[in-house]
Amino acid sequence: MEKASMESPHSIGQPAGHVEGPAKVTGRARYSADIALPGMLWGQALRSPFPHARIVSIDVTAARGVPGVHAVISAADLPDVRIGRFLRDIPVLARDRVRFIGEKVVAVAAETPDAAEEALGLVEVEYEELPAVFDPIAAMSPDAPRIHEHPEKYEHPPIPPIGGESRYHPFANVCSQNIYRRGDLERGMAAAERTFEHSFVVPPVHQGYIEPHACAAVIAPDGKIDIWISNKTPFIARRQLAAAFGVPEERVRVNPTAIGGDFGGKGSLMDAALCYFIARASRRPVKMVMNYTEELTAGNPRHAALITLRTGVTRDGAITGHRAKLIFNCGAYGAFIPLHFLHGGVHAATGPYRVPNLEIEALRVYTNTVPRGHFRSPGAPQTTFAIESHMDMIAHGLGIDPLEFRLRNVLVDGDESPMGERFRHIRCRETLSAAADTAAWSSPKPPNVGRGIGIYERAPGAFGTSGATLTLDRDSKLTLLTGAADTGTGSFTVLAQVVAEELQAPLGDVIVCQGDTDTAEWEEGAGGSRLTHMAGRATLTAAGEVKRELIALAARHFNCAAEQVEMRARRFIASDGRELDWDALLAWAAEHEALPLTRSGSFVASGHPEVTCYAAQVAEVEVDRETGQVRVRRIVTAHDVGTIINPLTHQGQIEGGMVQGLGQAMSEHLLVRDGSVTTAHLGDYKLPTAMDIPELTTVLVESLTGPGPFAGKAIGELSNVSPPAAIANAVFDAVGVRLTELPITAEKVYRELRAMERGK
Amino acid sequence: MKSIRMRVNGQPVEREVPDHRLLVDFIRYDLGLTGAKEGCSVGVCGACTVLLNGQPVSSCLALAVMADGGEVTTIEGLAEGERLHPLQQAFIDYGGFQCGICTPGQIMASKALLDANPHPSAEQIKEWMMGNLCRCTGYYKIIEAIQAAAAGKTGP
Repeated sequence: MEKASMESPHSIGQPAGHVEGPAKVTGRARYSADIALPGMLWGQALRSPFPHARIVSIDVTAARGVPGVHAVISAADLPDVRIGRFLRDIPVLARDRVRFIGEKVVAVAAETPDAAEEALGLVEVEYEELPAVFDPIAAMSPDAPRIHEHPEKYEHPPIPPIGGESRYHPFANVCSQNIYRRGDLERGMAAAERTFEHSFVVPPVHQGYIEPHACAAVIAPDGKIDIWISNKTPFIARRQLAAAFGVPEERVRVNPTAIGGDFGGKGSLMDAALCYFIARASRRPVKMVMNYTEELTAGNPRHAALITLRTGVTRDGAITGHRAKLIFNCGAYGAFIPLHFLHGGVHAATGPYRVPNLEIEALRVYTNTVPRGHFRSPGAPQTTFAIESHMDMIAHGLGIDPLEFRLRNVLVDGDESPMGERFRHIRCRETLSAAADTAAWSSPKPPNVGRGIGIYERAPGAFGTSGATLTLDRDSKLTLLTGAADTGTGSFTVLAQVVAEELQAPLGDVIVCQGDTDTAEWEEGAGGSRLTHMAGRATLTAAGEVKRELIALAARHFNCAAEQVEMRARRFIASDGRELDWDALLAWAAEHEALPLTRSGSFVASGHPEVTCYAAQVAEVEVDRETGQVRVRRIVTAHDVGTIINPLTHQGQIEGGMVQGLGQAMSEHLLVRDGSVTTAHLGDYKLPTAMDIPELTTVLVESLTGPGPFAGKAIGELSNVSPPAAIANAVFDAVGVRLTELPITAEKVYRELRAMERGK
Repeated sequence: MKSIRMRVNGQPVEREVPDHRLLVDFIRYDLGLTGAKEGCSVGVCGACTVLLNGQPVSSCLALAVMADGGEVTTIEGLAEGERLHPLQQAFIDYGGFQCGICTPGQIMASKALLDANPHPSAEQIKEWMMGNLCRCTGYYKIIEAIQAAAAGKTGP
């Protein structure tokens, strides 16, 4: 439970620090790995050293004899269940077969991590290696080894209708296939005066949260199962866990914990189901904490992508047709995403452009590599790197300035988007222009300096249900009970600001309490840039209900109709001029036993939002022609925003996201060789440091049109998407080197520079 | 097993530990001070930063026995009662954290910086802090927070 520290009559627009700030800066905030339960054991897992193998036998006899070891389990000790966020294809422990290096095979629970490790060292697993396949193209060939023998038997909810054709497991090693068509591609291509085709390679990157996944489980004598888990969607985690345990949902309680970074990666159960099973086997509470090598080698990093785009244009740059083939490597299992395919990747495959005729084919392909999951704007950075590089290449091919080429093609009010959405108040041109103007797009540049631009569009998340319960107490405190976890974005603070604004209360009077899954209203949780929008709207409804009740109480006090009372600046004013201030009303209400007063609100999504958000970015780079080293001098990031509820946390999303995009552009590459992740610690996997950040200029293109509370829009997944394309385009502008594969390393630029020299 | 004695956040501590007990495990699990976090386990991310005799160390790379006879300061030792250290307050006011997992390490590292150099430039801050990874903020607001604390500014 946290208390806001700021006192202000108007909360919206205030740069308030996180309400949980004192807990986080003093070390009091409790994360999953910090959980300590009486009698708790340490759980650890033995992982497969082979990318694809049959498990011939498992002998745990010696492991069970290690002092301090309370349980050693393998799949033979578990029900034959598979888990997943949508498709359920991942076993809790490998059964008969392992499909990637790092897959869990045996788990132990012991009194100390040392004893657990010793026991795992004594487990004997006999494997028979099977042919493995690592490349998604090779995996799709008819003679490729089959990674899943009967994938059609895996459970999943009905595939939601999103337009286009969707199929599961249509052919060899393909987890899902989606084909989306609009207009007549053949005719569109025939109408083209020039056709461009380019292919792009986007390697996997890791979410890079500093907190590795952790969880704890305890089973009470009455069968109640308590879980602590680094998970951004506690209610959805509960649903998945109950299914895995074969118990009704109400038997499982997911408890709130602080989350040490999510970025999409903390929506998966990871070890939580296994943790329960070893708690059950050992009859003790168990905690499992992954180490960072496990995170990098066996977490759920971003999908790698091979992308081919073919676009027909007229000589003056109008797009006539566009075909995109997106091949996403999903690794050994498809279970780590909450949909059947990377919707965001498909959505971004056309960019925010007028494309009358198109075909997008998206495939998720199984390989014997680490399973892939969601990462901030899932799918979009891959396809945006491709489409925004491709647009630059087309512009240069046509001899049109890349900014001008985009301005000619972007959607404007009245256009239907390529995916068939009809948005109002489209701010694409304005956002592009704001970025370009601020970056002085056309101004002269020193030698070897270049500018590149990229744009991305994403609507505020509108799916699932959000709930909120607000209690007004006699002492004027407003306690908001939410089922949403804060992944670090400052969502508790934003929700507190919504309450404070609606009730004209000081922010310090609002207490945000994250309930467990037994006590809070159902909440879909964080993800897809939905929380401020949807939990914010639910909270606003609850606050509005409390306000309505207060007005009714004031009317009772005045002995008039509620319609004759209004609340203004913490005063209740009757139409005949009588007034009562907030404290007086509360005192009166308390006397009349009307306090505490509790009201709930919920908000349910109804189709796609009518407005969307744009982010346009200009990168300015300097390239060292001798070494190929690229230095990003400056990024201008322009955002189409609605009402900004909290400028401090809003800007934090922009800055943090941009630097993640910078990392993907410049240094991050989860290197997978023959199925083995070789960048297996944070010394080798290069997250940006404080030394790597460029000068950043943020431009806000404001309009009061958002669907969120007080006309807010989304921000969380907008700034991280187009930096790789903007930087790649800037490198081309600087020295004429076009890189179609991330990351943009000095080695790659150097090779291209030398090749260009030889070609002269 | 070794018997070790030290002062942790000003309090005397005496424990028996295995020779190979890591300082981070000793602090977190033997003493129950879970403010220091274990991120990378290889001395790269800085989430486990504590001060040993005033110097920042990655407690995941140090052994508990190395602190024998010494003075350890963790994030729990920074505030005086409810009164936050200026760096702690600045990290809140300037948005120097989001998820908070790296924050204890960031604050301990920046305390060591300001102890050594009370008025660092932005470049000096970046250089000193490069051993403390943050995935949420992109560092801009961490740098602002440290500058604000150094300048004695209490609010944004």
